[in-house]
Amino acid sequence: MKTVVRTEKLTKRFGDLTAVDGIDLDVHEGEVFGFLGPNGAGKTTTLRLLCALIAPTSGTAEIAGHRLGRDDAKIRAAVGILTELPGLYERQSAWDNLVFYATLYGLAPSVSRAQAERYLRLMGLWERRDEPVVTFSRGMKQKMAIARAALHEPRVLFLDEPTTGLDPDAAKTVREFIVALRGEGRTVFLCTHNLDEADRLCDRIAFFRHRVLRIANPDELRAEFYGRATEIRLVPKPRAEDLVRVQAVPGVREAHLENGSIVVASTDPLHTNPLLVKTLVDGGADIAFVTERKPHLEEVYLRIVEPIE
Amino acid sequence: MIAVVAASPARPTLVRAVCVREWREALGNKLLVGMTLLPPVVILVSGIAAVAAAAVNPPSDRDVQALYAAAPAVAGLDPREAVQGFIATYFLILFMLIPTVVPLTMAIYSVIGEKASRTLEPLLATPVGVGDLLFAKSLASTVPSVIVTWSAYAIYLATVIAIGSHAAVQAVTAPRWILAIVVLVPLLTLLSVNLGILISTRVNDVRVAQQIGGLVVVPIVGLGIAQVTGRVVLDNGAFLQMTIVLILLDVAVFWLARLAFQRENILVRWR
Ligand SMILES: Nc1ncnc2c1ncn2[C@@H]1O[C@H](COP(=O)(O)OP(=O)(O)O)[C@@H](O)[C@H]1O
Ligand SMILES: [Mg+2]
Repeated sequence: MKTVVRTEKLTKRFGDLTAVDGIDLDVHEGEVFGFLGPNGAGKTTTLRLLCALIAPTSGTAEIAGHRLGRDDAKIRAAVGILTELPGLYERQSAWDNLVFYATLYGLAPSVSRAQAERYLRLMGLWERRDEPVVTFSRGMKQKMAIARAALHEPRVLFLDEPTTGLDPDAAKTVREFIVALRGEGRTVFLCTHNLDEADRLCDRIAFFRHRVLRIANPDELRAEFYGRATEIRLVPKPRAEDLVRVQAVPGVREAHLENGSIVVASTDPLHTNPLLVKTLVDGGADIAFVTERKPHLEEVYLRIVEPIE
Repeated sequence: MIAVVAASPARPTLVRAVCVREWREALGNKLLVGMTLLPPVVILVSGIAAVAAAAVNPPSDRDVQALYAAAPAVAGLDPREAVQGFIATYFLILFMLIPTVVPLTMAIYSVIGEKASRTLEPLLATPVGVGDLLFAKSLASTVPSVIVTWSAYAIYLATVIAIGSHAAVQAVTAPRWILAIVVLVPLLTLLSVNLGILISTRVNDVRVAQQIGGLVVVPIVGLGIAQVTGRVVLDNGAFLQMTIVLILLDVAVFWLARLAFQRENILVRWR
């Protein structure tokens, strides 16, 4: 697997405050890497460091093959950033905003225009290209900012809380866009404090609060913290003896009743579940549904991030 | 699909793109356009009116005596000529206010506007040199200000030639004054622009920034008035001196602005 972002003991202090404290990261080409942490964790600061906008206090990083502090202009050309706020020239048209940025990324005039068109169409803003951005909704402005970040086809896209403050519809478009980027093999570094979003979009998640507390993929985390859980819905509803039978099945760590279902945690569900179903059916129970239950990542998050407070 | 390869843009391309964007932005801001055009229009209209009035109403004896006392340079001339020459010159000095006030306002709007709309971070994320960016921004405010000043001067000149007395025409077409307009106006403009940029890095209120910048205007006006009353004459020596002082100030203020204009500074310390 190719690494596109690598940091070594990357640190940023503001006076006495250490916003980013010696982080070591390896982000792989083509993955959506979640950078998950509460407000004030230092996510934006990390992004600014990796986009060569501010200099580290100590430590170093390599982004898209370029050394931070040595090839900063090349880093800036190779990455795209969606900043916390859209920061558009609101008096100017959508078209003028994008062409201006394409020019600043060194694209030739014809390429600039082609890219502006491509992204305006992709974001569903082509019909409104000549209108000043000030007339756009919050969601449309965010789409503009994403278009601006992706316009020069960067290898790595850094997104700072891309769906914060958006209505569900706009948030959905943004998430679909992230999925599409991954489909193109683009690397996405996604800062968020939204667990649900990280869960849905990310291949791996770094839990972060000034330091990287943990890196894992969402399924690993669930498995580790809870074991795989299975929910079995019976009709009309489970009897006490069903639960007793389930608890006796080998490999079952824990089972309990919950809203007309039996919830079972087992160490190896692939082997245990067929046995469970057989046991219940043999015992005379009628099974309506067997579903995999994902424990809520919220709890995982709290367990990892909270203890350091 | 076309190959899209991002890189640092060529400097002329960057400068052109920034200037065009700033001018579009400025033209869309009616308040800014008003504040840019008001000083030249006021000075132009009052200057022309004063010269015209002097041409129509001959001055009283007392006025003439007071004038001779105040401006020895015109002593001995025909009274009406003297008054017109005096007024024409006096307004030429007021013209020097245009390249201080107008570019200051434009530069302040340019920087404070970007701070307020949070456009600096995405701008700085592009592979452009900040020195080039500062230069482009300076130029974007300097060029229109110089054009406005020169246009106002040209209109004034044409009007005085059409309606003024011999002395008035001589005063406004004196080679040293023309040289001053050609050379000193751009220098003065550049100074105000970079001063405006520098102030705007620390201040978030357009009016406060304008007031601070206005402090620069005072010594310039003072110098101008001193010159009319005959204490400092704009001879070759004084002209050369002013040119050199302005160039030094321009370099110093651009250097200070360049120091403040660093990516990290802008993002972390500008408030
Ligand atoms: N320019 C700055 N000067 C001083 N402290 C700062 C500055 N920027 C950020 N910080 C501090 O660094 C910490 C991390 O901030 P930030 O990176 O914005 O966090 P996040 O994006 O995760 O919410 C916060 O405590 C914040 O107050
Ligand atoms: Mg943040």
